[in-house]
Amino acid sequence: MDQSKQQEEEEDYGYNLFPERHSGKFKKGSIGESLFTFNHKCQLMLKFALETSPYAKLLLDAMKSSGCTVHKGRHFSCEDCDGIVSGGFDATSSQIVLCQNNIHQQAHMNRVVTHELIHAFDHCRAHVDWFNNYKHLACSEIRAANLSGDCSFSNELARFNFGFKQHHQTCVRNRALRSILAVRKVSREEAEKVVDEVFDTCFNDHAPFGRIPHSKRDAKFAYRDFQNRDRYFANL
Amino acid sequence: MAGREALWRPPRTCDEYWSEFRLCKSVWNRFHHFYTFGTTPACQQWKDDYYTCHEWEKSSSTETKESLQQSERARVAEQRKFPPVWKLRQNPPADWHLPLPQDTPRDS
Repeated sequence: MDQSKQQEEEEDYGYNLFPERHSGKFKKGSIGESLFTFNHKCQLMLKFALETSPYAKLLLDAMKSSGCTVHKGRHFSCEDCDGIVSGGFDATSSQIVLCQNNIHQQAHMNRVVTHELIHAFDHCRAHVDWFNNYKHLACSEIRAANLSGDCSFSNELARFNFGFKQHHQTCVRNRALRSILAVRKVSREEAEKVVDEVFDTCFNDHAPFGRIPHSKRDAKFAYRDFQNRDRYFANL
Repeated sequence: MAGREALWRPPRTCDEYWSEFRLCKSVWNRFHHFYTFGTTPACQQWKDDYYTCHEWEKSSSTETKESLQQSERARVAEQRKFPPVWKLRQNPPADWHLPLPQDTPRDS
């Protein structure tokens, strides 16, 4: 594949947002990387998220049950990214990218990790055609926006999006749309149409949480349910 | 068959039914439910299930067992109302555990 065609494909699938996927400024694990990037901070926040966030712990357990055990060193990568993107899931390498230059608070890291783990979970449990089927992409984005806390009342307030009654659904639609437009060369109308087509199904798909976790408390209850699922289904 | 019947227990512990009821009725949950669905949550079923669960613990009656099963099956059916957009896998992706294509291994 020649250079220009490869470049076009990268832009088509959003890889241009993650320039370090192919070559970073500093060699991985080098002192330069530690001193001149936010890599170390990102690694620490990631470790904390995976160990303490009930959202992340549930997703990690669910993925392990599905045969996709997540290893921090293999399935996560802290990198510098373009623009304001916070992270991404690279299906070709089965890796979650965390944008170390754009994530500076633990709460934000927790949310991004949850969001991307939902994509990884979908990739693990279903035949998701990330690159050719916009319905699949839209569905995973709807689920990630819905279940990760992206659209909590406080997060929307911080974005100056003042809405209350059913605003969560409006937010999920908008963020799914935004995510699709960021990584695919598609018109807004086309993206909106696809989101509308799959919204009801995907908004109501709460796997592996079994509910929309609006808070850490909800997520803890969901985690408890997940841990007790054998008893639950055996006595149904 | 009689042996299997004796091994049955409620899908959740009675305490779990009560804690779900309390969570459902909490101010925060009512706030979040309205923010998400534009309605107030229906919590009575959790309370009913809690009392049914205690009844079952006392009497182990068929009615209490069936009542709890019916209630939980309705909850599961609610979760599975819409046909999925994608086909579920039988096995995880083959390349999930393969090493990264880069030459140098990543160190976390």
